[in-house]
Amino acid sequence: MSSSPTRNAVASGRRADAGDGKGSVELRSVSKSFGGVTVVKDLDLSVNPGEFLSLLGPSGCGKTTTLRMLAGFEQPDSGEVLISGAAVQHLPPHKRDVNTVFQSYALFPHMTVAANIAYGLRQRRGIDRAEIRSRVAEALDMVQMTRFADRKPNRLSGGQQQRVALARALVNRPGVLLLDEPLAALDRKLREDMQVELKLLQSRLGTTFVFVTHDQEEALSMSDRVAVMLDGRIEQIADPYTVYERPATAFVAGFIGQQNFFDGTVADAGRAIEIDGGTVLPAEPVTIHGSGAAAVRVAVRPEAVTVAEAAPAGPDGSANALPGAVAAVSLLGDVLQYVVHADAGHELLARVPRRQAGRLAEGARVWCSWAPSDVHVFPAEVTPRAPIGSAK
Amino acid sequence: MTSDRRVPRAARRAVPPGLLATPALAWLALFFVAPVGLVFWYSLGRKPGLYQTHANDVLTLDRYREALGDTFLTSFSGTLRIGVTGTALCLAIGLPFAYWLAVKVRPHRRFVVLALVLVPFWTNFLIRTIGWQVVLSPEGFASRAMQSLGLIDAPFSMLFTRGAVLLGVVYNYLPMMILPLYVALDRIDGSLREASNDLGANRWRTALQVTLPLARPGIAAGLLLVFIPLMGDYVTAAVLGGARGNMVGQLVASQFQQAQNWALGSAMAVVLIVVIALTILATAAAGAVCTWLLTHRRRRELAGIAEGSAA
Repeated sequence: MSSSPTRNAVASGRRADAGDGKGSVELRSVSKSFGGVTVVKDLDLSVNPGEFLSLLGPSGCGKTTTLRMLAGFEQPDSGEVLISGAAVQHLPPHKRDVNTVFQSYALFPHMTVAANIAYGLRQRRGIDRAEIRSRVAEALDMVQMTRFADRKPNRLSGGQQQRVALARALVNRPGVLLLDEPLAALDRKLREDMQVELKLLQSRLGTTFVFVTHDQEEALSMSDRVAVMLDGRIEQIADPYTVYERPATAFVAGFIGQQNFFDGTVADAGRAIEIDGGTVLPAEPVTIHGSGAAAVRVAVRPEAVTVAEAAPAGPDGSANALPGAVAAVSLLGDVLQYVVHADAGHELLARVPRRQAGRLAEGARVWCSWAPSDVHVFPAEVTPRAPIGSAK
Repeated sequence: MTSDRRVPRAARRAVPPGLLATPALAWLALFFVAPVGLVFWYSLGRKPGLYQTHANDVLTLDRYREALGDTFLTSFSGTLRIGVTGTALCLAIGLPFAYWLAVKVRPHRRFVVLALVLVPFWTNFLIRTIGWQVVLSPEGFASRAMQSLGLIDAPFSMLFTRGAVLLGVVYNYLPMMILPLYVALDRIDGSLREASNDLGANRWRTALQVTLPLARPGIAAGLLLVFIPLMGDYVTAAVLGGARGNMVGQLVASQFQQAQNWALGSAMAVVLIVVIALTILATAAAGAVCTWLLTHRRRRELAGIAEGSAA
């Protein structure tokens, strides 16, 4: 911890610059198309100063294009881009108060680590050599790469290159740091470590981070808010708990974590949903406009499903319960995952804490059941299994 | 069979190191080292009589003394000037073009542009040079057309001058500059330029600090590929240069072909080889010194951070 004073210096330096909206990001009805294909459609987004926001979505959803428009590598066809309160949509990248960490890191191969980090400071006027030197040293210390200052990037591991890329961007003390899937090339263990480090660094510096990823776990674990994107639009923007617990659309429900989906029709004035071979009770009456028995899609998380050999007791014994046979059991670390073939033809996923229940054998006859409060109901039009290119 | 079985498969298959390079080495020895050695050997001899081309009965440096006479030196300095100017012009034209081709042109159109660069190469060297003779001729169609349009007052007067030779060599050798530059620039990851831009450098500073330093191998290859054949070229000069625009390659060729004095021709060739080699070395040294001076301040500024002087 001998290095903490310098780290604080970096942090306080950043905070001294703060004020009058520095670090805020706003997109106002931004659209962008490439060769007739609309990639970003009329997008509105606002990021608060100091916030960690993730843009999450499958490939082709427009998240990287959105980030590139913030950086200035792409110009929006229409709409406004505001960074730290100023409209920047016509400014080139080198005049914007942002810096980017690239997916490929994009370190300059002909420069040492220290020269890479000093690059941004050298482009500015009014920074003397002593200051460049001390800020490079601070940035190296911040990512614990001081030892490697004189190495060329090709002699560093992926994780080390990642740290240098981070230091090279942060040393300029940008209002907003843009990160384009920076962890995608790292192996799993290193990625998880870097997630924690990145999050800690962000809260220490107080810099706004806009983080693009297709990895939902990564987005959930690091972000203050997650914007789930599909087809160039934001499907839902909320804190990770809300996105996970109360997905706004069937796509979000299916993209974040896993779901058991059932297609059915509304019955009993919205108090029940009839599916093949059973009845599902939602927590609240379903209000779906339309005549007669409206088609809906029901989602239930695997971890909400209880697997038992006995039929569930209670007044509604047959609701929220499906009989079936265990088709497969797999151990996922601290949870057991069952694949159950329901007699009605559904395939159900259930996740049970490993220590909670005894292991059921393959082929065992079981009942899968869940509470009404774990049921999410969506209109039936969207096909979450094939999200790309689907029309809403 | 039995002895075969005792030897491990891998060992039987193993190729002695260097075997794969043997054909290339043999080629190099037979068609490069031997002829150059022979030329050097001839250059130490003399032309014994009217009907003999060379003899090495007496070893002497007189041919070099003879070679370094006024005619040769005048022609030689002219050639060196054309060589340096022509190579510099090729770089000045080729570099922006190769950058445009590698960076700005959409990938699926690059092959079309590259093909256009290479089309002249499919034509015989002599024929396309004679083509320029037709174009530059004072009585040629280009001259007459431009006169009748009122763009020029007098017929072209460029043919059979050094200027015409310069035009010819730049035209003939430009593809040799563009191709290695294109390959070098194409290999630079586009995200490096974006990163430089992102870090506050405008496009000129990005070009100077990122693109050009990374394209250095391509620049060096292009300079060599243009300068070396250009210095020895005698076709372009013979067709476009006339008496005023002759090059040293023509002198060497005439010693071998017309004067039948192989000894003197060889001496001239050796001088040419040595000067080309020295020019390349001098350019390389100058380049290294420039790079060192440009990066020296930067390096000193950041030196020693790794040793923990940050604290």
